[in-house]
Amino acid sequence: MPSSPELSRVRRRLALALLLATAPLGAETTFYQDRIGPILERHCVVCHGPEKQKAGLRLDSFAWVMKGAESGAMVLPGNAAGSELHRRITLPATDEEVMPSEGKPLLSREEIRNVELWILGGASATKLVAEFPGAPAIGRPKAAAVALAPDWRPRADEIRRLEAELGVRLVPRSQQPGDGLILRTAGSPRRADDAALARLDPVAELIVEAELARTPVTDAGLAAVGRWTNLRSLDLSRAKVSGSGIAALAGLSRLEALNLTDSAVDAGGIERARALPALRRLWAFGAPGMAAAEARP
Amino acid sequence: MHSPENPFARDPHLCSDHAGEGPSIWSLPGLPDALRREWLALETRRHFLGRGMQAFGWAGLASLLGRPLAAQTAASPAVLAPHYAPRAKRAIYLFMAGSPSQFETWDHKPVLQRMFDQDLPESVRGGQVLTGMTASQARFPIAPSVYKFAQHGQAGHWVSELFPHTARIADELCVLKSLHTEAINHEPAILQLTTGNMFPGRPSLGSWLSYGLGAVNDELPTFVVMTSKMPHRTNVQALSNRLWSSGFLSPEHAAVALRSAGDPVLHLNNPPGVSGDVRRAMIDGVNALNRQLFERVGDAETNARIAQYEMAFRMQSSVPELADLSSEPQSTWDLYGEKAKEPGTYAYNCLMARRLAERGVRFTQIFLRSWDQHSNLPRNIKLMAEESDQPTAALVTDLKRRGLLDDTLVVWGGEFGRTCYSQGVLTAENYGRDHHPRCFSMWMAGGGVKPGLSFGETDDFSYNIVKDPVHIRDLHATMLHLFGLDHNRLSFRFQGLDQRLTGVLPAKVIDAILA
Ligand code: HEC
Repeated sequence: MPSSPELSRVRRRLALALLLATAPLGAETTFYQDRIGPILERHCVVCHGPEKQKAGLRLDSFAWVMKGAESGAMVLPGNAAGSELHRRITLPATDEEVMPSEGKPLLSREEIRNVELWILGGASATKLVAEFPGAPAIGRPKAAAVALAPDWRPRADEIRRLEAELGVRLVPRSQQPGDGLILRTAGSPRRADDAALARLDPVAELIVEAELARTPVTDAGLAAVGRWTNLRSLDLSRAKVSGSGIAALAGLSRLEALNLTDSAVDAGGIERARALPALRRLWAFGAPGMAAAEARP
Repeated sequence: MHSPENPFARDPHLCSDHAGEGPSIWSLPGLPDALRREWLALETRRHFLGRGMQAFGWAGLASLLGRPLAAQTAASPAVLAPHYAPRAKRAIYLFMAGSPSQFETWDHKPVLQRMFDQDLPESVRGGQVLTGMTASQARFPIAPSVYKFAQHGQAGHWVSELFPHTARIADELCVLKSLHTEAINHEPAILQLTTGNMFPGRPSLGSWLSYGLGAVNDELPTFVVMTSKMPHRTNVQALSNRLWSSGFLSPEHAAVALRSAGDPVLHLNNPPGVSGDVRRAMIDGVNALNRQLFERVGDAETNARIAQYEMAFRMQSSVPELADLSSEPQSTWDLYGEKAKEPGTYAYNCLMARRLAERGVRFTQIFLRSWDQHSNLPRNIKLMAEESDQPTAALVTDLKRRGLLDDTLVVWGGEFGRTCYSQGVLTAENYGRDHHPRCFSMWMAGGGVKPGLSFGETDDFSYNIVKDPVHIRDLHATMLHLFGLDHNRLSFRFQGLDQRLTGVLPAKVIDAILA
């Protein structure tokens, strides 16, 4: 089994491949989305965003940027030199008013130039990258995150309803909506039975991690799990599943981690699990299949 | 209520804590507006969390949706989903209180073997102020470790012969040799590790995690502390709940300390003759009264109290199940040792930590004290190692075989280092070591740290750091990062400041140790 650094390398390569496959290479992306948004996100949103609004200023969307601070507009379209936002990012590091404040790393020359060209070009939300041929490339420290699942937010009402009805929890894995949901059952594992799982079809492709340890889930319930096509990690420790149930997971082409500890999965089931195309980590401590494998000379 | 039998009926202000009749924040005159707003934020966030079960998960969803929650204000982010996808879902912190010497554990210094009883060069000490315990010594004679070291695993970690079991899991460990702190005495040093600040009153690491991420399992506390019986007692530090308190965060984020003897939680069982239904009815009644009180006075502590009654009720069934070890297979006892059957031992606590991790408890902190070897170090550190080596290694091994180590971070370490010179008389077999804040060793395993890595270096005397220093703030920033939290953004408005675990001094995530 590959070690985790290897796995993350694989992931990174995969991420890059997806990025190359889907990025329209500037043809369709707006300059704001491609350059300005990420610059502000990286340097400013910690203090000027949803959690903190220093000086009453938010910089986490085009609309907020143009709305300005308590004291007024920070960006004057066409007039970089007169824009307070531009002034703040071009001050010397020693200046009290320089942004980002608190001694955080300043913007690179390329980043500043992008902001400048954007303001000079009318501070537009819609102009495309192609319309700024003179804009220097900016370093991108991290590859853009690959969405693991569709955005769950439009289905928030449904999610809430399912949580209430089934007694399970469907929590976002992170504040990135593309990171999908965790199906969480630790608080009342007994309620997560086969019938409950079958009712999760409406959010099937949003579930990226499923924590089903200590639940009464049986092979019948795995039929539903087999439809969660974006599942990356599945914990069935101490669930009532057996070897034949694993067959229902065959379609989970993205499943990377499967925990069968103390389940009833036999050697055949473990073979089936090993055949999952993306699986990198498998645990079966205490399962009959593992004991059989260990007994073999 | 106004029956003649009621002794309070005549004077509603009889007791000073008869809060129901006290002024509310709204009726207090002359309070600055900003303070009122801060208080409101505090109050609403607490109210919000106090709703229990569904509120936790939903808090994340609702706030992410940008839906205007009545409870949400700029000062109370109420965002319970981590900033980015986490590597660790839980942590188990093995706190070796009193501070094991790095010389006999993880920081192998072969050069010192040739320098027995020589004076520590003044250039190394660099005029450092020493503690009152050794400052008056006429000499600072170098005391090499009496215990041998060997390299283990593919990682090639140097491990002391005191830890044969831990040596076998060397490849799981990321050993940090360059921790440093400003604190030179136990209490402030332990506080700095547990709460990020040498002064009492701050929320502890586990409380910040509870505040930032909420519970995985509402049937059990999010943050659990266990103290361990000691194999011997010398220079034992007092442990108090300020090490695991929630500080200015709402009280439900404080740890529940499981007792080391008898029932893990006192008074959890219903008294004879009281059925579960009666208990439920009683709690409902008390909660109803508390809710009325809250409506009238608006004190956030009231909601925390309601939440705690509910938690206690749920723990009536969850804790006995947790503490029932009858279903553990023989392989468990083979791994942890027979001592794990005795409640309160370190071995028992390690096993409980695994069981808590299985049940989704976010943060478990085990304290093992009596590592403070100012004298008789060779004898006493051996007793401590014998007590803890097997269970520690067992815990890591057990988590790994059960598929839990991937997302459970295990941390081992004390609060500072010890001196390379002997405190008191140095002989070939005996010596002591004083406190030393400039460098010390810890290790981490699982939860998204690089296994098999050795990070940071000290000089030949393990006196000064020569490469990759790691301040406690950096350790905290890194731990939060593994949980998907940005230490700059996990803040709580209190006394006019956006308070953070890492405070206001520079702190950085140690990227090099991330898997
Ligand atoms: C560490 C927190 C922090 C970061 C990061 C930060 N700011 Fe600020 N910002 C502040 C504070 C505090 C103020 C109010 C004090 C002042 O005006 O200097 C402020 C004020 C401003 C103002 C002036 C608002 C006014 O009313 O005049 C602008 C413009 C601004 N920031 C832009 C930015 C930009 C652009 C970035 C990113 C490049 C950024 N800030 C990053 C904390 C921060």
